[in-house]
Amino acid sequence: MVIEAQSLSKRYGDLVAVDSLSFEVGRGRCYGLVGPNGAGKTTTMKMIYCIVRPTSGTLKVFGMDVTDQPRQIKARLGVVPQENNLDPDLTTWQNLMVYARYFGLPRRLARERCLEQLQFMHLSDRADAPVPSLSGGMKRRLILSRALINNPELIILDEPTTGLDPQVRHLIWDRLLELKDRGITLLITTHYMDEAQKLCDDIIIMDEARRIDEGSPPELIRKHVPAFVLELRAGGELRRRILQQFPHLSHQDSGQNLYFYSGAAADFDGLLRAWPGVERVLRPASLEDVFMKLTGREIRA
Amino acid sequence: MNEGLLSVTPAFLRVWLRNAQVYVALLKFNIIPALVEPMLFIFVFGLGLGSYISDIEGVPYVKFVAAGILGSAAIMQATFECTYGSFFRMKIQNTFEGMISTPISAGEVSLAEILWGATRGFVNSVLVLIALLAIGVIDHWAAVFAPVIMFLAAFNFAAIAILVTSRIAQMEYFRFYFAGFVLPAQFLCGTFFPISRFPEPVQLFAWVIPFTSYIDITRSLMLSRYSWHLLPEAAYALATTLIFTELAVRSMFRRLVT
Repeated sequence: MVIEAQSLSKRYGDLVAVDSLSFEVGRGRCYGLVGPNGAGKTTTMKMIYCIVRPTSGTLKVFGMDVTDQPRQIKARLGVVPQENNLDPDLTTWQNLMVYARYFGLPRRLARERCLEQLQFMHLSDRADAPVPSLSGGMKRRLILSRALINNPELIILDEPTTGLDPQVRHLIWDRLLELKDRGITLLITTHYMDEAQKLCDDIIIMDEARRIDEGSPPELIRKHVPAFVLELRAGGELRRRILQQFPHLSHQDSGQNLYFYSGAAADFDGLLRAWPGVERVLRPASLEDVFMKLTGREIRA
Repeated sequence: MNEGLLSVTPAFLRVWLRNAQVYVALLKFNIIPALVEPMLFIFVFGLGLGSYISDIEGVPYVKFVAAGILGSAAIMQATFECTYGSFFRMKIQNTFEGMISTPISAGEVSLAEILWGATRGFVNSVLVLIALLAIGVIDHWAAVFAPVIMFLAAFNFAAIAILVTSRIAQMEYFRFYFAGFVLPAQFLCGTFFPISRFPEPVQLFAWVIPFTSYIDITRSLMLSRYSWHLLPEAAYALATTLIFTELAVRSMFRRLVT
């Protein structure tokens, strides 16, 4: 196991950031932590890369305890933090070389790795650019290159694609899947359920410092939501009349939208015939539906 | 897990190198402004005011005050670097968090920051010494060791500054630190006139601040006047510097690794 957490907790005074969390991450897997802001995802990650100390429970990374051997653990992992912490006074190249030095790489190897990583992240032509001149997407790619400079066995990514354009997101996804194919373990947090579904073999859903459930994306969908979702753009009086007419369909309601859930798409036929003019989408259930159900409003029967 | 100086490995030099690299990249912003204040001191206290003042302790005022100007230049530079500079790297740029996400430890980051502050103080005192030499204030070759003593004084102030930096929530608190400690130390520790002019309790207070000892040692070198009491002064100055360094490293560890 690359990561083993047992009853892991972190408290700051009265505030419980992580509450008795247990999970295991196997080698070469992509493991996702999802949950609303403040659920404890970042704190959990920081405990894994040894800059937040657990209050109780045990946490082992590469079989080593985080409180006993932080230096040995950190030498073998790469971190993509949520906040940009590039050195604005240095160039792209210097940013990578400085980190290669922190990992104690000999100069020649460091140069090789920097060249390799810049190429991998499509940044070769920006090697001499000062950091402030880079776009948001380039900065993110540079942080990812930097996280790979020590050939890590585990990469920890805290919201790696937040705020990026689709081209950069796709490039990053592509690179992460390539790294996974090389046997590198990934631990990722994200607010994008499509991203979680695309990248993760396993997902922990967290809310209010606790684990709510865990499983592969298809498992979680099967377990928590029916196979089909019908979204109707219907608020106010229209909404009331639809619900009155079809009280037996399980639904969720966001005010302006109605979400109906069912195991068979045919169950919606009556509704679709009765209200032909209403704007609608019929789609398979997704991880986002699971997320909304587990951390947001309950589906009423 | 030991969180103090004993846990620090030579890897801290990699952090020092990072700071040096940024310093070189921004060289033109660093060298000239840092020299303005000491040059003003030489001009105002030494050459201007000095011409109205009779000899102090048997030497012309400008030769007496040279050690103080050197000292001020060193400690102010170290203090700025390890208050505003370090706080900026810690809190605004998240540089420290990035470093400690690699095999570098929080203790190594702290010691590197202190050493970096001391380095800047040293560089400043060398530049000021050259200026003093140019205006003919330096009489004795032993003055070349003055920047070494100033390096230690700067180290001392850098350590205290990191201790303060590790404890404050926002930059504005540095104003209390400057008003309450740094400025009084800059002026009261025998820098610009002998502390024997003060009432006894103030003299005692001045001697508690290790800067007084560092200034006295530097002045002795520059005026080539040696006496036995320099030894206990040196011992006291070094011991307090070591203690503050240990406190700063431990305190910064608790700030960075929560």
